Amino acid sequence: MRALVELLFKRRWIVVGFLLGGLLLLLPPPAGLTAPGQKSLAIAAVAVLFFVTEPMPLPTVAILIGVFEVLLGIAGPMDVSRSFISDSLLFIMGSLMIAETIVKQKLDKRLALAIVRVTGPRIERVVVGLIAVSALIASFIGEHTVVAMMMPVGMTLVAAAAPEPRRLRNLSALVLLAIAYGAVAAGVGSPSGGARNAIVLAYWKQLFGLQVSYLHWMEYLYPMVLLQIPVAAFVLLKTFRPEVADLRRSIEQLKTRVAEEGTMTAQDWCTVGIFLTTVGLWITVSDRIGLGTTAMIGVSLYLMSGIARWEDFSRGINWGVILIYAGAISLGITMRDTGAANWTAQAVLGMVRPFGLQSGIPLLFFVALLTMAVASVMSSGATVGLLAPVTLHMADLSGTSVIAAGLVTAAASAFTFMTTIGSPACGMVYSSGYLERTDFVRAGWKMNLVSMGLVLLIAASYWRLLGLPR
Amino acid sequence: MKILMCTDGQPYAEEAIRFGGKFAHELDADVTVLFVRPKAARGDSIHLTTARKKMGEWDLEIPGVESLKRAKEILSEAGLVPLLPSGEAGVRHTFRESSEGGVELHLIGRRPAHVRLKLREGESAEEILTEAVQGRYDLILTGSRGHKGFASYFVGSTALRIAEFAPCSVLIAKNIRPGHNFLVCTDGSAFAEKAELFGAQIAQALNAQVTILSVAPEKAEQKTAQEQGRRAEMILAQLGIRARVKARVGRPSEVIIDEAKDHDIVVMGASGSSAVKRFFLGSVPLKVIEYGNCPVLLVRERPSAKRPVKARGQG
Repeated sequence: MRALVELLFKRRWIVVGFLLGGLLLLLPPPAGLTAPGQKSLAIAAVAVLFFVTEPMPLPTVAILIGVFEVLLGIAGPMDVSRSFISDSLLFIMGSLMIAETIVKQKLDKRLALAIVRVTGPRIERVVVGLIAVSALIASFIGEHTVVAMMMPVGMTLVAAAAPEPRRLRNLSALVLLAIAYGAVAAGVGSPSGGARNAIVLAYWKQLFGLQVSYLHWMEYLYPMVLLQIPVAAFVLLKTFRPEVADLRRSIEQLKTRVAEEGTMTAQDWCTVGIFLTTVGLWITVSDRIGLGTTAMIGVSLYLMSGIARWEDFSRGINWGVILIYAGAISLGITMRDTGAANWTAQAVLGMVRPFGLQSGIPLLFFVALLTMAVASVMSSGATVGLLAPVTLHMADLSGTSVIAAGLVTAAASAFTFMTTIGSPACGMVYSSGYLERTDFVRAGWKMNLVSMGLVLLIAASYWRLLGLPR
Repeated sequence: MKILMCTDGQPYAEEAIRFGGKFAHELDADVTVLFVRPKAARGDSIHLTTARKKMGEWDLEIPGVESLKRAKEILSEAGLVPLLPSGEAGVRHTFRESSEGGVELHLIGRRPAHVRLKLREGESAEEILTEAVQGRYDLILTGSRGHKGFASYFVGSTALRIAEFAPCSVLIAKNIRPGHNFLVCTDGSAFAEKAELFGAQIAQALNAQVTILSVAPEKAEQKTAQEQGRRAEMILAQLGIRARVKARVGRPSEVIIDEAKDHDIVVMGASGSSAVKRFFLGSVPLKVIEYGNCPVLLVRERPSAKRPVKARGQG
């Protein structure tokens, strides 16, 4: 008996979730919402609760979404499996495989050398260099890969700066946050920078029939990445006064450490070559053959050349995350099909109208704020997956550009600079043991604020100048 | 005997390990040192594993390893880890994920797995308690930062939580003094008897002086207290330990804290009172741990230790 109570208490959120779901199904449907719409909203509500409280491994939530879509009769089994896998999902999968191949190589040591050669020993220049390189790579492959490669560089720099590196609190924060923030801010730079971008692309196409190419996405959001680099450097250098201003000692240490590796091998060149080819194909032909197929070309090249091993993929890739994206997209499509997305969008618009946030830039401000708030309690992929159908419909209903709303949703889901669990990048640098949680808060709120301002500025000026479609 | 020692790399924790190492050596106990680091990711954390592998490629140490290595040095000073001629401790294999959610490193001691170093991730008190249950330890040793009263209410002293919820005996080592004067507290209950036996075992190993303290809450009960003290004396005498008996009148926690000033370690049985009663009345051992000024050994029998384990050898 006691064991049962204990078990139930440990899993209390599961019980609460299912009770909530049942209750939402039993309520009379509100005006304007169909019965299937009510069911898909109930699933969404329970999914959000589970994503936030995590009473089970998160991929389970995605599986349950598919199961309940069928059990509640709002979608057939074929519809569900079709909405689970798509070109976008292949794209997410392929990008992760490519990233995993790259992280397995020892390119990080060469990269480190290149950075310090250009920047020299001044801490300000090193910080800008770290942010820029981190951002540049993270705009094309997942942020976690970039941080895994750059973090040892940063730690080596800090560790060799003084005999007792743990004392160098500010220098540690400065160097490691430069790497993390560079990667987080740049994830939005191109579709392959983060899976959430692929989700937005999928929604544009499947919900509104809008096709946005890889290159166009970069055209819309890459300027933001370029602006973020000096901004992040400024914020970090203002927040953390480094104890050591000259990293000559560290750089010498780094050079000897790297010298052991020698120059680039043929395999290294191949790795870079295949990666650049894939990015080239994404930019040039992916609007015809699909982003997913293009990614798979790169993956097959890596596997055939023997640079990547299948075992690395099965061990090093978080397949559960892919399932979470699949479940989120499926739920988003169901919410559209059943009219739930439209109904919710209307309801939210009704709520923000008194504040004058119902269309144009004010609406985009609200979308950014909402996304940022949700992303601080849920993983960014799940946030975009569940929010984007609503935010896109809100834009559609109010005559605001659906493209702009999608871009803002994708960008704002990365404004998680304040917490260690908000993004994999921040979690990884925190796991180095060199940082305190408060370091993230000290610099993070400024980054959140400035990024928010930047995205709205770009929306109000640059995008208007470009003339976004719809 | 299996002892679990906890460290967070702070000086007070290392003092506690030095203190525990001495009698772990005398008792010929198996020692595991545990470092708990905060969780850095929510949900799945494959990317953290990737990051750690990269750090390994760069010869960077993952957090906690440094503290565990220092703990190892402290234990080898106490003679638990014989050093190789090169001055290095014999490492049997490098860090690997262990089945119950920790990472561990074995060191060769006088017998295999004599000393283990272990890392876990999560909230410290919770992880220490989980490790204690899974590893079937007989004693948890932890230092204490010494937050008292109001502060401990908010800061949430890890040591106090361990003392309250541990499945086995707990030694809270704070304000450690060099001497070995044991103060064994008795109230004549079965719990106290266990404490007397366990405390005597350690006192014997350390060749310590033992004082038995029996407290009567009221003057009228002083006689019973004296009898209880004498009974404890007899139990110890059977083990060949000579002890002094003291019987005093007053509030037990206050008297014990007062007497503890002249002793180096207080031994008490964990009270058998329920969680509800503890909540309203407080528990004497917990008060002594919180407000007392010397190490406290709280003796509690592992529930499974009473009967032989059935599941052995299955699966």
